[in-house]
Amino acid sequence: MSADYEPNIVAFLCNWCSYAGADLAGTSRVHYPANVQVIRVMCSGRVNPLYVMNALQQGADGVLVSGCHPGDCHYMEGNFRARRRLGMLKSLMEFVGVDPRRFHMSWVSASEGHKWKEVVEKTVEDAREAGPFEGFRRQQIDW
Amino acid sequence: MNLGQLRKIAAEVVAREDVKYLIGWKQGSYGYRIAPGFVEDAAGAAELIFSPLCTANLATYLTLVEKLPVPRGQEADKRKVALMVKGCDSRAVTQLLVEKGIHRDEVVVIGCPCPGMVDPALLTEKYPETEETVEVKWSGDGFLLNRSGEEIKVPRDELLAEKCRLCRYPNPVISDILLGEAVEPWELAEDNGVAEVEGKDVGGRWDYWEEQFAKCVRCYSCRNVCPLCYCQDCILDRLNPTWVNRAVNFSENTSFHIARAFHLAGRCIGCGECERVCPVNIPLGRLNRKLAREVRDKYGFEPGVDPEAEPFQASFKPDDPGDFIL
Repeated sequence: MSADYEPNIVAFLCNWCSYAGADLAGTSRVHYPANVQVIRVMCSGRVNPLYVMNALQQGADGVLVSGCHPGDCHYMEGNFRARRRLGMLKSLMEFVGVDPRRFHMSWVSASEGHKWKEVVEKTVEDAREAGPFEGFRRQQIDW
Repeated sequence: MNLGQLRKIAAEVVAREDVKYLIGWKQGSYGYRIAPGFVEDAAGAAELIFSPLCTANLATYLTLVEKLPVPRGQEADKRKVALMVKGCDSRAVTQLLVEKGIHRDEVVVIGCPCPGMVDPALLTEKYPETEETVEVKWSGDGFLLNRSGEEIKVPRDELLAEKCRLCRYPNPVISDILLGEAVEPWELAEDNGVAEVEGKDVGGRWDYWEEQFAKCVRCYSCRNVCPLCYCQDCILDRLNPTWVNRAVNFSENTSFHIARAFHLAGRCIGCGECERVCPVNIPLGRLNRKLAREVRDKYGFEPGVDPEAEPFQASFKPDDPGDFIL
């Protein structure tokens, strides 16, 4: 690993809480690492485990999924479903040998700009420790 | 189990007006082979068997049937399918009922209490396959092989399949007709396979699965044989979006196996068919059993036991574990 290695993080944020929270962090001028690429989804329950696998295959070193706090979901129960599914995915990935530091899940509400900063710092720090995920990259063929 | 009784009841069932055909096991073409039998009359019923070689899970045929559109003016065939099940197969049927993959009034379940199956791989390793048909039977606390007139008694532990060592439901969970008497569940063995992988550190596990998944030729046998992989539009076949590329390399293989195992989380009933049919012997059962144990320990859910249950991944509890959340 080179000294100037910067991890790529793909973050799936729910439209109603976490995306607004990240927006708040921006408008509040909160400084947080710029390694995060945000993808807005309508609900954390919409995040298919295949999204996570594809992100890791296509160049991400870490993945973050963030949604509303339990009970605050815009769709009433989407984040409960996400918690169950992605919890299973996390233990499966650990069993297969994917470093557990590469996948995180968090609850960030629209008013928690500072929590968003902490979550991103933690995710980036973990992915940096885990190093580049070269072994799992999709093999592209250049014709 | 008495074969005479099995064939008699099977003949009675296929003679019923509301039964289309019966799916059971019959003798295969040679050696230890067992073939699925689709029985429509009494002559077919006389060929059925139930032996320690009947590892195949016939519940997979329930969803494999092509449902052609019915021409106008014609009635759909609403007759039932009769199915012979072991303990594990009956759990697959139950899980299909939970998911509404089939309806209860579409099947007649003929339960066969199962004293444990032989592992075909172990068997052929010790006693090579012959051209002549070999008969295998349960006998007391072991198996009895009949190879060209020569009788060999083998202790149960030597040949018992791994899925049966870990089986907690040897008796059918649901059945319309139960053949023979219920067997006593036996003491569970330790799940050494999962424990072996869990004992490694993260890098070691990755290396282990890298070695396993690199072997995969992506024949999709594991998917095709699985009684619970029956999506009409499977993500593995879909080209747009291409979730899993068709290229056979380590990255795509890993993605495929994680997707496959994940889609069976909280659904896999542990019949071990994926592992049995795998041409390159990838220990898929370890992935499935690990997830089944997580689901049982952390979420208190067991698939294929209660036909009234809600599907695991389509439901939630407010107090699901969330200790991994930042």
